[in-house]
Amino acid sequence: MKPDADVMLAGFAGTMLMDIAPQLGGEYTLGSVGIISMSMLMVAQEVDRAADVRYQENAQMRALFAEAAKLIDDKNLAGRLEAASRTKDESLRVRALDSSNDALKKLLIELQAVAEVSKAPWAAGLEGKIWDFLLGSVEARRFVFPSLG
Amino acid sequence: MEDIAKRFAAYLAHRMPQATNIEVSDVSRIHGGASRETFRLNAAWDEGGHRVVRPLILRRDPVASLIETERDLEYNAYRAFHPTGLPVPEPLYLETDLKWLDRPFFVMEQIVGCAAGSPFTPDPYGPMAQKLGKQFWTHLGHIAAADPDKLGLKMDPVAPDECWSRELDKWEKVIDEDELCPQPVARAAIRWLRRNPPPPAQKISVVHGDYRSGNFLFNPEGEIKAILDWEMCHLGDPLEDLCWAADPLWGFDNKELPGGMLPRAESLRLWQEASGLKIDPKALRWWEIFNSLKGLAIWISAGKEYQSGSNRDPILALSSIYPTDVHNRVLAKELAALSKEARA
Repeated sequence: MKPDADVMLAGFAGTMLMDIAPQLGGEYTLGSVGIISMSMLMVAQEVDRAADVRYQENAQMRALFAEAAKLIDDKNLAGRLEAASRTKDESLRVRALDSSNDALKKLLIELQAVAEVSKAPWAAGLEGKIWDFLLGSVEARRFVFPSLG
Repeated sequence: MEDIAKRFAAYLAHRMPQATNIEVSDVSRIHGGASRETFRLNAAWDEGGHRVVRPLILRRDPVASLIETERDLEYNAYRAFHPTGLPVPEPLYLETDLKWLDRPFFVMEQIVGCAAGSPFTPDPYGPMAQKLGKQFWTHLGHIAAADPDKLGLKMDPVAPDECWSRELDKWEKVIDEDELCPQPVARAAIRWLRRNPPPPAQKISVVHGDYRSGNFLFNPEGEIKAILDWEMCHLGDPLEDLCWAADPLWGFDNKELPGGMLPRAESLRLWQEASGLKIDPKALRWWEIFNSLKGLAIWISAGKEYQSGSNRDPILALSSIYPTDVHNRVLAKELAALSKEARA
């Protein structure tokens, strides 16, 4: 599809803000148009990166789980981590990637809760790696708030 | 709007039997918090041989909102603080009978000739930032210093050592019920907050619950004329309000210039001076992390409302995008540092 989705969304938002909004009356309507335009500018940032962010996160979590499965004492959790580390993304549709991302993040939450209270020699290193992953994740999903001049 | 004008005029006639020729005009919906429908209007009537004109604000319960709140809490907070000199609009009527406007509502004075700054601009107050900042932190200190019993504000009591757990339980429940996807940063914050409880509150205060840039009106001279949106007020630790007001989200992601007004150290000093309370750094850190989590809970809830279709107000969609991103980043950074500190 051309023009690209993000280009169109940003363009439409600009038209709404600069051309349509000044023609509108009513504070609530104007405010809503502003909010919708802002949201479109943010969705424009998301559309191009959405699949990549999820695909990369899923790969990173699987690698983390493969490593953690060899370290932790809880056999049940270790087994589930190992099994999750062997899963693959069969589709690059965002909803499909979200579905595996959700399943992996649920397990990540469980793993982090174990690591952060463990005194085992591996715990500090694993906890640090989980935080590195989360810091990378929030940064990759960061939105730049649109400047209106 | 015509329908609201007509029905509200009938309501005023009911509330003011002495008034005649009641007219309601210039009804317009405004953005006034995402938890109530807010309308600005002018009411005029004849009384005692004179024509009275009064600009009013009508706040009506929505079908679904950003966060479920009790309208009488907000109304009663205005009623309690209005006589104290704190700048709040005068509350006039609270109505729960659905026959008038289909949903409960309350009516208050309209503060005219004032504006609210947007927290989502780097410099929302321009040259008035310092003047407004002094009032902003001082007013918050006065709210913290007020005696809830003397104010006559009836709210659920809480013990000083239970303020933190009550609030944390409440917002954790919101996340449990409303999350649309797993929230690893929020969950890590909840665990940290439970493992590291703060000291008991120095005093039990009225907590506004959403005291921040954007939630007050100021005039062209830089005077704060109204502190708004008391929908989430409750009794609790006054540090809760302080840390919400100082949250980086309301300072365009700048922790060192909370609310885009005054430097952080100066802001905290003004609050201490006005409240008569001393800030414990350990408690401050706990309430800072808590408030970013509370923010996340609110944005998660907004996203659920929008996604489910129960409320398609675009503010709910935007709330669940950008503020979620900011609070996830703020919390991840803080918690990663605290984790390193604890392991060192």
